[in-house]
Amino acid sequence: MTTKRIISAVLGIVAGLLVAVVFFADFNQASENASGDLKSKAEKVYVPYGELDEYYMMSSGGHSGQLFVYGIPSMRKIRTVPIFTPDPATGYGYSKETKEMLGGFTWGDFHHPAISETAGDYDGEFLFANDVGNNRVAAVDLSTFTTVDIMSLPNMGGPHAGVFVTENTEYIALPTRFARPLDNKYADLDKYEEEYKGVVSMTTFDKETKKFDLAYQIVLPPWSYDLSDAGKKMSGDWIVMTTYNSEFATTNLEINASQNDRDYIVLVNWKKLEEEVAAGNYHDVNGAKMIDPRDHKGAIYAVPVAKSPHGVDVTPDGTRYIAAGKLAPMMTVFSFEKTFEAIEKEDFTDEKFGIPVLSYESVMEREVDPPGALGPLHTQFDDKGNAYNTMFISSEIVKWNIETGEVIDRTPSYFSPGHAAAAEGDTVSPDGKWLVSLNKISKDNFLSVGPSHPESMDLIDISGEKMEHIMAVPVDPEPHYAQIVHRDKIKTVTVYEKDENRENSVWKQEDARVERKGDEVHVYGIAMRSRFIFDAQSDRPDAVTVKEGDRVFFHLTNIDLDQDITHGFGINEYDLNFEVQPGQTSTLEFVADKAGVYPIYCTNFCSALHQEMSGYLLVEPK
Amino acid sequence: MKRNLSNASVISLITAAIITVSTLFVPWWGMKFYAPQYPEGLDIIVYPSTLAGDIDIVNSLNHYIGMAIFSNESFPELQWMPYIVIAFFVLILIVALLRRKSFLYGLIALFVIGGIIGIWDMYRWLKEFGTNLDPMAPIELEPFIPPIIGENTIANFVTHSYFLFGGYLLVLVFILLVFPLWKDRAK
Repeated sequence: MTTKRIISAVLGIVAGLLVAVVFFADFNQASENASGDLKSKAEKVYVPYGELDEYYMMSSGGHSGQLFVYGIPSMRKIRTVPIFTPDPATGYGYSKETKEMLGGFTWGDFHHPAISETAGDYDGEFLFANDVGNNRVAAVDLSTFTTVDIMSLPNMGGPHAGVFVTENTEYIALPTRFARPLDNKYADLDKYEEEYKGVVSMTTFDKETKKFDLAYQIVLPPWSYDLSDAGKKMSGDWIVMTTYNSEFATTNLEINASQNDRDYIVLVNWKKLEEEVAAGNYHDVNGAKMIDPRDHKGAIYAVPVAKSPHGVDVTPDGTRYIAAGKLAPMMTVFSFEKTFEAIEKEDFTDEKFGIPVLSYESVMEREVDPPGALGPLHTQFDDKGNAYNTMFISSEIVKWNIETGEVIDRTPSYFSPGHAAAAEGDTVSPDGKWLVSLNKISKDNFLSVGPSHPESMDLIDISGEKMEHIMAVPVDPEPHYAQIVHRDKIKTVTVYEKDENRENSVWKQEDARVERKGDEVHVYGIAMRSRFIFDAQSDRPDAVTVKEGDRVFFHLTNIDLDQDITHGFGINEYDLNFEVQPGQTSTLEFVADKAGVYPIYCTNFCSALHQEMSGYLLVEPK
Repeated sequence: MKRNLSNASVISLITAAIITVSTLFVPWWGMKFYAPQYPEGLDIIVYPSTLAGDIDIVNSLNHYIGMAIFSNESFPELQWMPYIVIAFFVLILIVALLRRKSFLYGLIALFVIGGIIGIWDMYRWLKEFGTNLDPMAPIELEPFIPPIIGENTIANFVTHSYFLFGGYLLVLVFILLVFPLWKDRAK
């Protein structure tokens, strides 16, 4: 009896367990865990000691005038590279050559980084930066991550729509945002329509001499050129730009420039303009070769687009261009093939300012309008034919298929994304691994630092069908765009080459010397662990005596050809500090206008005896 | 003239001569320095006629402890070492051509004496560099003598010294020189 009851109880429990297992157990879990597909978010971004991130993210620093370099997927900030802003930590803007390069400006507004390209793919050699604030373009050498040239552009009013590079970096293009009279002239705002002009600067960069040149400028109607991109492959000869303010508003732009139902995408054939400029068909304006594309058949067209478009991005295969309509919240896919056909057939609906306007219906392929998605700004791409759009107002990323327009997935961002950057996402071969949303607002996502909150970035895994939000990180104000480049494409040098013929360089301790030329004092010195030698013959090789009013040149060579041994050079109370990297020669030039004794010391920690690496600048009174 | 070395022995000697001269182009001896910030190690590599490796970096570090500068100039041996190597090459060839065992005994003796002098010279330099430290040096250290082969710790650096390819080739040369003594031993 008792036995029977025990048996039936046991059988009951076993049956219950069996039912529970059959219905509730997840037999897949164990195998999935084992295969590593369900890696936790932390594991996805964890880069163990001794290993390196897979990608560099080159992020513009906006009005900080700097480049922020991040590692992806760890999202660790690796370096801040000063471009338009002096930086005492690296001596940028203090040494002779960098001071000249900055030309007296102390900031710039860097919006859109562009890595140099070969056949539409990043080649990792140089990075170009625009300065919306002061009309300049800069080049960063990615072998040293230092700014090597800055050029000021005449006739511009804030090159917001740049920089972007053509397929083989033939041109680094910078379309202007604010129309302005040419040649720095004065003109009343009432004469805006006639006197004010939009300008595109077509600059070239010589990789050998590392110098910019302004090849020519394109004069355009006084619309506001907002964003732009270069064509690829079949569209390689073209550049596309969005405009707003076809209303020619001169005040309260937010309202007055948003009245027309349509604005334009402007298409310019740079190859044709290049030929015309070569044939001498240009006017000299303020030293620039100015060409009006309306004077040359086939050089410029406009495509109507829903009002106030923001980003316009060319698909990786170069067959389409996608406009993101800021105020008409949808994405419009245009076909280059249809565009070229319409141009061929002269299928124009209108002419604006002498520019043939193509029929919207003829060139448009589809409109993509995810319900409730507001404020589309920019488009990035993956390797599977999908596009990713940031939605500024509805704070999200939308993934959709370019071919069908089908919305595949949506994920929130924290908050208000501007641009997004996908891994190699604006090249001919996107990697489709990661997407970083560059947000304008972080609100209370991070420890409070008072009323000023950091901007933020979201890392999103886009390798699967569904996007996965992985992490959010704070960032200094204020990045606009970023490009994510595979680490294999960046070839850095760790130590500058020992070039014994380099001007002003000194490589042997006994060659360190001080030479006086009139009231100029040239110090040909060396920095080495852990001392300065300015004058090898002197009893005190690390002291320099000059007279009040002398112009002093410290030519300093770091002869420690050893990885990561940087020497700094600060002069007390003279507001001077710069650095020399291993194997580098830099010059600091200043007028010794204060008599007295001023300690000099190595500011960049170099070795155990770094504190002892010091000397004196003695300035004898007049 | 009494030729008492067999063909095999002559071949052995000629091989020895060729190897001897070839050592001019390969490193003989080296030292590797490891420290926390140099996990990849710094090298001093000694060829018969020149120093190679991270000499500048080692020098800049050595100045902390007041060690003299390593350079080709600080070792006059490096100037005439190639001549000695070539001299041995010629001597071995001569012995091989003359095929006289008695000459071979002399050659081996000379080789052994040369080797001993060489090792003694190295020891002398290691002692000189390690014990003759500049008293003005910022970091004061007990004088030390790095071993010719083996491991040593100086401050934060662990040093390994060892013979390199050329050194081993010289051992092979010695074996090839003695081989005829066995091959042509009196029966």
